[in-house]
Amino acid sequence: MTEINEQEIAGDFSMYFGPAHPGSGNFSIKVEMRGERVLKATADPGYLHRGFEKLMEYREPMQNAVLSDRVCVLEPLQWNLVHAEAVDYLMDYEVPERAKYIRVILAELSRIQSHFIWYAAMSLGTGFMTGFNIAIGYRDYILDVLNLITGGRVYPAGYICPGGVRKDLPEKAENKILELLPKIEYMRKFALKQNPAWLARFKEIGTLTKEEAIKFGAVGPILRGCGVESDVRRDDPYEIYDELEFDVPVMDEGDAYARFTVGMQEIEESMKIITQSIDRLPKGEVKTPNLKPIVQFQKAEGEIYIRNELSRGEGAFYMVATGQKTPYRVKIRGPSFTHMIPILEHLLTDVAYADVPAIYWSMYQCPADVDR
Amino acid sequence: MKLGIVIEIFKNVFTKPMTVLFPFERIEIPERNRGEHEFNIDTCISCGACARICPNLAIKMIEVPSELREKYPKTYPQVDLGKCCFCALCEDICPKGSIKLTTNFYFATFDKDDTILYPVKAE
Ligand code: SF4
Ligand code: SF4
Repeated sequence: MTEINEQEIAGDFSMYFGPAHPGSGNFSIKVEMRGERVLKATADPGYLHRGFEKLMEYREPMQNAVLSDRVCVLEPLQWNLVHAEAVDYLMDYEVPERAKYIRVILAELSRIQSHFIWYAAMSLGTGFMTGFNIAIGYRDYILDVLNLITGGRVYPAGYICPGGVRKDLPEKAENKILELLPKIEYMRKFALKQNPAWLARFKEIGTLTKEEAIKFGAVGPILRGCGVESDVRRDDPYEIYDELEFDVPVMDEGDAYARFTVGMQEIEESMKIITQSIDRLPKGEVKTPNLKPIVQFQKAEGEIYIRNELSRGEGAFYMVATGQKTPYRVKIRGPSFTHMIPILEHLLTDVAYADVPAIYWSMYQCPADVDR
Repeated sequence: MKLGIVIEIFKNVFTKPMTVLFPFERIEIPERNRGEHEFNIDTCISCGACARICPNLAIKMIEVPSELREKYPKTYPQVDLGKCCFCALCEDICPKGSIKLTTNFYFATFDKDDTILYPVKAE
């Protein structure tokens, strides 16, 4: 829909970027234009609102574990993990060591495949179809392994459940994961290869300063791309992250290219985490003893705010239990919300229209997580 | 100007494709893949646990057709695949292992009725 503003300059008009744009995915931005320049942008979310917070108040924790997959389509295992940790705390579950390792391995695999989609989406948004195809192809190798372990390619259906994980790793799963690593490394190097077109589209585009990033509440690779070293896995370790050795990549430039490079460097760290976890994977149970298939909050009372480092940054669950079967209140804090609304609107002031997709995709967005 | 990416792309011309020629070739489906349900009415004790845990209310406990009611007098789960999210919670909770998810995922149909799995079909 194009609106022409006749009172002002003839070249002034406003239009929508998305939601039906092939590269925008359930999210639209109203851009006010003067000729080729974007003067002002207003985010227009809400196309993917499914009301998870309310739905979760009507379901029991095990059913919510299944639902928590869908908070963000691209990183379901990590959302499973945050949800499971919140319930573990409220129900006072002791999670076995082996389950903790499996949780971490899967969360990191999920991070890698999500970063591949980031590369794919950035390629697609800037017309580099080859990059898109290759990244999606290599992501598929990871999905095959996730299918082997969780039974679903994209949705694990609450594989990381309250009290541990739903099933132990199948036979030879460790080998399958280790066989994946060279493929992941190839794809990572491919994404970081010198690509003149890519550099021209992303270097010095959408620059966010350190101060702005902190003021707007940026998290994850977006914040680390502006030179702030912050990672929940390091600052507030959960599961077994305090026992593992890994670095937190940081870049100072703050532009689209820096954000993306941080993401690609994180893949290397994730691979380190996976190798270490598989090396040390202990034997034993994968569920807390006497875990019933139905979990209810009838004996649980209290509240908890649990945060994790997801692919896109810090994601959290706030949950209140008051002794009913279901949670009394659930609040989800997703990383994409601040990136997609205040920061995107800020970055899309006075830029060329051709840069809109480049900036948009460099924010590592997930509309599903914005709307929830 | 460095053109590393171009060389890499041309190398890919000579590699094997990542995709397979479906339906002549198929990728292997792992055993755990959550697909269509398989229900064994003879072991089911009609406890209704599967219907209670189903997050999508896809399972309804129904009576069997009248001619079979003598043999199967209780109520049995009927799964509506159109509502199901394939979470396998019903499989996990069933005390007798009567309901299981198989690897079959070919569900495309023109008839909405095909998506309903009856506990038992009348002859
Ligand atoms: S797989 Fe899940 S959604 Fe489907 S019928 Fe069983 S419990 Fe219900
Ligand atoms: S299928 Fe299993 S859970 Fe469902 S009613 Fe029969 S015995 Fe109970």
